[in-house]
Amino acid sequence: MSLNADIAESTRFTEELLAGYVIDATQQVFSTMVMMEPKDEFPLREPVSRFKCSITGMVGFAGTYSGVISIHCPVSLALIITSSMLGLECDEVNDDLNDAIGEIANMLGGSVKQVLSKGGLDVKLSIPTVISGEDYTVNSLSDSDCVVIPFVVVGQKFLVGLTLKKGD
Amino acid sequence: MANILIVDDSSTMRKIISRSLRQAGLPVDEIYEAGDGIEGLGVLASGKLVQLILSDINMPNMDGLEFVKAVRASGNSTPIVMITTEGGEEIIAEAMSSGASDSIKKPFTPDQLQEKLGKLL
Repeated sequence: MSLNADIAESTRFTEELLAGYVIDATQQVFSTMVMMEPKDEFPLREPVSRFKCSITGMVGFAGTYSGVISIHCPVSLALIITSSMLGLECDEVNDDLNDAIGEIANMLGGSVKQVLSKGGLDVKLSIPTVISGEDYTVNSLSDSDCVVIPFVVVGQKFLVGLTLKKGD
Repeated sequence: MANILIVDDSSTMRKIISRSLRQAGLPVDEIYEAGDGIEGLGVLASGKLVQLILSDINMPNMDGLEFVKAVRASGNSTPIVMITTEGGEEIIAEAMSSGASDSIKKPFTPDQLQEKLGKLL
């Protein structure tokens, strides 16, 4: 998976630079709101589209740039993340878990949007979407325009992906 | 001590903001919550005394910008601070010109809340 050359040119960002923004945003969100310090393992060695016992939070961009930023993590890790965010024990997939993962995606989307759009009015963010399940796949229709960063925290892995396209 | 209204569609974020307000040592009494601008207007219309409003921008049904305009149109001058992932200069300028008092970017720390909100309470 790599960032399409047209996207890299239009955003004026190399894949490594854009990955750096996503890594910084993820680490900032986790350190301030989740009270955890994930380490990145960029680059991703193997493309990942199939997830088992996992949860995915996504926020879309529309406007000058369109795309999706997403966080994918095992439910076992999502429970730890949610418990740490809320300061309460969360031990099942419920509204709190879905809301917490959606809010992380929302904050990541906001951080990336700030890089793409200094003013903020030419790129709109969607309301977060969360999916979870025993076995599901997530596919981008333009997966070549994608940066995916693996992270490790409390011994478990999660992924943050960014798909971008220059608007019409 | 102040009563605070938090308007955010994320229940997680409302809990985090509530906890952070107390961690920051701000003089907080009652905290009221609303899931969007329409609910926020409902809280204000119910007659509850509120000394500070904290509002997200990106929300369903009625977003934070519409909410600020509606509050000001009703003649309510309670300080409104936007707490949002939407940190773009133009969006913040629009919020401020609509009547918001200040803005805080998510993610935030309790110290940042203290710095921005301490002067309003």
